[in-house]
Amino acid sequence: MGLLKDLSQKYRSLSIVGMAKNAGKTTALNFLIEEAMDEGITLGVTSTGRDGETQDLVTGTEKPRVYLDRGSLVTVPSQLYELADAGLEILERTKYSTAIGELLICRVEDAGYVQVAGPVIAAETRRLCQDMFRYGVDLVLIDGAIDRKSVANPETSDAIILSTGAVLSRSLRNVVEETAHVVELYQLAEFKEDQKISDFLKEDDFEHITVFNGEGEARVLDLITGLGASGEINDAIKEDTKYIFIPGAMTNSVVSGISVNNLKQVEFILKDPTKIFISNIDWGRLRKKGLRIKVMKNIEIAAITVNPWSPKGYSFDSDLLISAMKEVLTDIPVIDVRR
Amino acid sequence: MSENKATATTQADLTKVKPYGDTLNDGKVEMAFTLPVPYGEEAEECAKQYVKKLGFEEPNVTYYHELAPGYTFFVVYGSAQQTIDYTAIKVPKVEGTVMDRVECGEWIGENVGRDITVVGASIESDAHTVGIDAIIQMKGFHGHFGLERFKHVVPYNMGSQVPCEELIAKAKEVNADAILVSQTVTQKDIHIMNLTKMVELVEAEGLRDKIILTCGGPRISHELAQELGYDAGFGPGKYAEHVMSYIMQEVVKRGWQDKPLIADR
Repeated sequence: MGLLKDLSQKYRSLSIVGMAKNAGKTTALNFLIEEAMDEGITLGVTSTGRDGETQDLVTGTEKPRVYLDRGSLVTVPSQLYELADAGLEILERTKYSTAIGELLICRVEDAGYVQVAGPVIAAETRRLCQDMFRYGVDLVLIDGAIDRKSVANPETSDAIILSTGAVLSRSLRNVVEETAHVVELYQLAEFKEDQKISDFLKEDDFEHITVFNGEGEARVLDLITGLGASGEINDAIKEDTKYIFIPGAMTNSVVSGISVNNLKQVEFILKDPTKIFISNIDWGRLRKKGLRIKVMKNIEIAAITVNPWSPKGYSFDSDLLISAMKEVLTDIPVIDVRR
Repeated sequence: MSENKATATTQADLTKVKPYGDTLNDGKVEMAFTLPVPYGEEAEECAKQYVKKLGFEEPNVTYYHELAPGYTFFVVYGSAQQTIDYTAIKVPKVEGTVMDRVECGEWIGENVGRDITVVGASIESDAHTVGIDAIIQMKGFHGHFGLERFKHVVPYNMGSQVPCEELIAKAKEVNADAILVSQTVTQKDIHIMNLTKMVELVEAEGLRDKIILTCGGPRISHELAQELGYDAGFGPGKYAEHVMSYIMQEVVKRGWQDKPLIADR
C-alpha cells in the first residue's frame, strides 16, 4: 500500500470530509490510522465535533471507535478523558471548549480506543493543528463532523480525503454525479490572471464585495453581504467590469438576478470552493448561462474513499461503484476502505 | 399480618432501570409499527417473532389491521429485558445561570450596557412558526413571555420558511449578536440537513466566530446542536429566559459589550 507514506510526504494535515453523514468518515480515519501504524508515522488526530463515540448521535447507527497507537497525539475533551480505553498523558489544557468540557491535547502512552473531539469553529481547528505540530507530529488528521464541508477549507488543512458512499442516493448514478460535482467544485482553477488583483485581495481579511475592470482597478461595493443582493451586484456591473470578488458564500441568491449578458461578461473570484452552495443541477444550468468562477485557493483532494453500504438499508456492488467512480474521477485514487 | 416477603421488589433500583407497566420492573412496552407483509395470521406471527428478535419477551399482538394490500399495521406489547444505569447518565447542558425575564433585563443593563440584538427564524422548508414565536413573540409560551418583552433586547422575528441566506443577510444588516434557528419538522432528518446548511453558510460568510449561533426545537438537544457546530441548542421545556440568559452571558464572556458592530468583533 504505502498510501499514507505518500500522503505524509506531500501534506502535513489532512481533513476527512464526508459527502454525507454515514459516508464512512470514521472508517476511513481508522484505515488511515492503521496505515500510519504500519508505516511508522507519528499521527495527530482531532475532529470538528465529537467523534469515536460508539453510537451515532444523529442516526443512532453503530460507529466504529478510533484506535490509536502509542506516541500518537489526540485531542480529547475533559469529560471524555476518563472514558478513554487508551492510556493518555495530558500535554496541554487548551482554551478551546466543547459541549463536554475543555479540550486536552494528549499523547497516547498505552494503545487503545479513544473518543476524539475537537473545536466546532474552523478557526480554532486551525490553531489547534499548529499546537499539535509543536509537539512533533508528522501528520495531523482532522475528522469532519456530519457533512460539515467547511472543514475542507484550504486554510484548515493541506489536502482532504473525500468520503462518499451509497448513503447519498439510492441511484448509483446520482452517487457518482454528486461526488463528481463536489470534486469539480473543489478543483476549480485558481485565479492567476492578474497579479495586481491577487495582491489587492491578499491584504489581511479583505471582506468586501469588489468589482475590477480590465486594468485591475478596484471598486468596493457598499454591500454587507452578497446573499440576496444579486440585483445590486447586477447594477454594479459596468461595461468594463471583468471580475467580481465575493468574500462570503456563493449561492443562487448571489447570481439569480444577474442578466445573462452580464453573467457572460464577468468572472467571479471566490476565496475557496467551500464558499459555493450551488446544487449539481443549478450548477449545470448556470454554467450554460455563462457563469464562470475562479478561486484564490482550491482544494487538493488526496484520495476518495467509498462506502458501498448505506445504513438506510441498501447497498451497491462495491466493484461496480468503484469502477463507476474511477471512470469519472481519473486522476484521484479511489479506495473502498471496508475491504 | 405476617411478613410479606413474597412480593420482593417494591423499590426502583436506579442503577437498573426498566419500563413500568402494571407493576414495577415488569418491563412492559407498547410498540406500533408496520410490516410490508399481507394481512393474516402469518402476519401476526411475523410481528410476534420480530418483537421477540428485538429482545422483548412475551410478545402480544393486541391489534392489527391491513393498511393497504401487502402492508399490515400492528400494536404489540412486550416485556423489555434491558436495563439502564440511570445514575451514570451525563447530559451536556448549556452552561451559565438561568435568570427570569426581569433579571435578564437588569443583568444586561448592568453588565453589557447596550441592547442585545437577536435575529430568529424557522428556516428553509419548515413552515412552523410555533417554536420561534414561543421564544421571540411578546406573548411567549406557557406563561413565559417572549424576548419582545425583555428590556435591553432587540429581537427580529422573521417568521417561517426563511431561506438561510435571508436570515444571515438580516443578521449582518442589523448587527445581530445572536442568531436563533428554529426547526420543528424532523421527518427524514430534514432538520439536520437544514441546520447543517445554515452553519456552513455562516462559516462561509466568515461570521462563525462573530455571532452566537443557537438553534431550538422539539427534537433538538444541546449535545446535538454542538455536534452540528452550533454554540447552543434548546429543546422542549426551554423558554425565552433560558435562551437570553445564555446569550447575554456569552456576549460578556466574548467581550462584545463594546462591540455592537459585527465588523469590530
